[in-house]
Amino acid sequence: MKRKKFFLYLPTWIFCAFIFTFMIRLIVLPKESFSEKEKRSLAEFPELNTETLLNGNFQNNLDTYLSDHFPAREFFVGLNADYNLLSGRNGENGIFLGSDGYLFPSPTQQTEDFLKNAGFIKEYADESDIPVYMTLIPSSGFINNDKLPVLHKEYHDQDMINEFKNVVADSVIFTDVTETFRQKSADQLYYKTDHHWTSKGAYECYRLLSETMGYSPVTESSFDKVTVKDFYGTSYSKGALWFVTPDEIELWSNREQPQDSVTVEIKDGSDAKQNNSYFFRDQLENMDKYPVFLDGNHSFVRVTNTNAPEGKLIVVKDSYGHCIVPFLSQNYREIVMVDLRYYKKPVSQLAEEEAADAVLILYSIDNMATDPNLSFLE
Amino acid sequence: MVFSSLIFLFMFLPVTLALYYITPRKFRNLTLFIVDLIFYSWGEPMLVLLMLVSVLLNYFAAILIGVTRKQGKHGVETKKNRIIPKIIFIVAIILNLGLLGFFKYAGFIGETLNFVMPFLNIPILQVSLPIGISFYTFQTMSYTIDVYRNTVKVQKNIITFGTYVSLFPQLIAGPIVRYSDVAEQLMNRRENLQQFTDGVKLFLIGLAKKVLVANEMGNLWDSIRESGASSGALGAWVGIIAYTFQIYFDFSGYSDMAIGLGKMFGFDFMKNFDYPYISKSITEFWRRWHISLGTWFREYVYIPLGGNRKGLGRQIINMSVVWFLTGLWHGASWTFILWGVYFGFLLALEKTFLLKLLKKAPAFITHLYSLILIVFGWVLFYFEDMGEMGVFLSRMFGSDGFMMTGDVTYKVLSYVPILVMAALVSTPLFATIYHKIKSKPVLLVIDNVGCVLSLGLCTASLISSSYNPFLYFKF
Repeated sequence: MKRKKFFLYLPTWIFCAFIFTFMIRLIVLPKESFSEKEKRSLAEFPELNTETLLNGNFQNNLDTYLSDHFPAREFFVGLNADYNLLSGRNGENGIFLGSDGYLFPSPTQQTEDFLKNAGFIKEYADESDIPVYMTLIPSSGFINNDKLPVLHKEYHDQDMINEFKNVVADSVIFTDVTETFRQKSADQLYYKTDHHWTSKGAYECYRLLSETMGYSPVTESSFDKVTVKDFYGTSYSKGALWFVTPDEIELWSNREQPQDSVTVEIKDGSDAKQNNSYFFRDQLENMDKYPVFLDGNHSFVRVTNTNAPEGKLIVVKDSYGHCIVPFLSQNYREIVMVDLRYYKKPVSQLAEEEAADAVLILYSIDNMATDPNLSFLE
Repeated sequence: MVFSSLIFLFMFLPVTLALYYITPRKFRNLTLFIVDLIFYSWGEPMLVLLMLVSVLLNYFAAILIGVTRKQGKHGVETKKNRIIPKIIFIVAIILNLGLLGFFKYAGFIGETLNFVMPFLNIPILQVSLPIGISFYTFQTMSYTIDVYRNTVKVQKNIITFGTYVSLFPQLIAGPIVRYSDVAEQLMNRRENLQQFTDGVKLFLIGLAKKVLVANEMGNLWDSIRESGASSGALGAWVGIIAYTFQIYFDFSGYSDMAIGLGKMFGFDFMKNFDYPYISKSITEFWRRWHISLGTWFREYVYIPLGGNRKGLGRQIINMSVVWFLTGLWHGASWTFILWGVYFGFLLALEKTFLLKLLKKAPAFITHLYSLILIVFGWVLFYFEDMGEMGVFLSRMFGSDGFMMTGDVTYKVLSYVPILVMAALVSTPLFATIYHKIKSKPVLLVIDNVGCVLSLGLCTASLISSSYNPFLYFKF
């Protein structure tokens, strides 16, 4: 009799157990201050005083705090992503799950900034005394369109690149990689769980650039490839589909290159460090392993390769550049790599000071559409 | 604080339940009253004072009405001692409506006057609308009116009365509970596990309606609207249908949560929605939609005006008044009045001849007739800007072509499963199947799996997104 009643009221017990357990765990469990998956600091406990109470700031911030520190938060975020997927809304959170475990970020939207940036580049190139080379890297979803789910947003990368080319055509030497990338998409030019290109993707771009920039590329067979497992990239974190299998990351090194010929100098404001390899292996300890290439985003990086032919190149880039510069470094003795998101001095002045031979502007289409810092080219 | 928030589900509710059930029965209303005030002041720290003013106003008005009425010899009412209660009553009603009018309609009235007579140049007051004022004002007025009519006893205990007005489950978005319906429960109620369990089930159904359906429908509607002309006529129709579902699941979900929470504290509130979208006429729709508001207007406006007892002409006038006010109650804007008048007009048509015709028509025609008119009603309801409304209406009739183009197609197609689900859940289909099941173990499994799913998925959705606006906060 008693057991029967217990079952009759089971919803009550489930409900109370659920809300009370999570309340207690919310209060008692130690709080993380940083989320690796989201790459951001989690909310701190809101300031509590009469003023914040009366203007509602405490109340509003407390909700963010609870959400950020909810027990088993990743499980719930994953559950929600799985539910969206099962109920037909693949891509709802900005990541499409394609075939072969590919995760594709939503298409880049045409923005005002995109063509404005083209204008800045044209202005800069018109003034430049040295040749300005350029390429725009299309998005993974556009290149791997055969792996997209049936229902997806439309990728307009080719139209956007064409429009961009129309603006800059007479001023820069533009290399369009889309056709070759589409043809070779089966070679995995992009990571499955990350928006970046793979070493293979960067290598293909390096080969295409050689046609316009006039160097002779090192053949693929000259590289030793070291494979590192368990790379979970940004699309993985954003998509929250935790069942997706991780990527492998390949580190390519030219076997004919002497060990000590490379120097990488990084300057970030007053901080500076040096390394004798393109690869920063301590970054491989993290979940996101892409920063293994040239240590991720820095304002100013100088890469010297004493084994390479004479020549000095300035690379203005976003994070896609970190993976291709090691290849370019086979053909340029010195490469100065700047990131306009952090480097705020005119590039024309830099080119003059460095007495560089050429400038390469290399951006992903996504950053070109959203980065407001291209005006710093001057 | 809204029910579909982490702070409510995992802080306020467990603390409140624990406090409530460890309080001795005698003091449980006091506990409720205190948590009500915390609940309300969470979002509106200062405006809780306004609600307290409303509580005090009606509390004392009712006491004065009661006291002055009894002054006649041997407790018999004479003409003379009917006047004083009447004056107190009228003053109380004016003050109630005055507070509502000032906080909700001052800006609107000023703007309208300035529009009609620009030379007046009235400065427009910028008052923020206190949450739930339309709901609690109607609740307190039901009490004062009923005391004046001598249909309920005066409540001398201010805690009990305060608990009634500020009861957190229905404070913010109804149902509008009349004092007479809960007077007995306020003073003597016996919470029990069966009622609590029913409450939990209803609450979780409401939570799922709000979080898993209404929010998603809102998401679809927003992106279709923002996509503008590329949605075409087809997309515009899908969009407004999504909004039709959003508003129903949002509001009825909130009502279910309110009624469910009420049960957890031993209260039984009236049903507020009864599958409105299966209606076969607009008259039927309004018997199934926001029932507590319709009841209130019938009880305190329509019937006192004479209802249908003074001939058809007078009845039409009475209906016009009620529907003008119903529109106005929903928001301080002419588009809401237009929306109210639109329904008043349709109801008058049905009352005079249409209903007779509809009775003879096949069911699918009457369904279609009702649904199309309801959906149009939501167009009027949604757009506050007449210009935008016009653009959207003409898009519905093909001004931007028929088909969807671009990413709207993806969005709409990916929402088809949820749209179908929403359509099915708008009908009594699942409830009918549920009630046909006789096997106890099967019911047990359904109940408990349902509870776990609702809790898990709603929590997941709340954690994943900050997209959580309650539509009915506006009113």
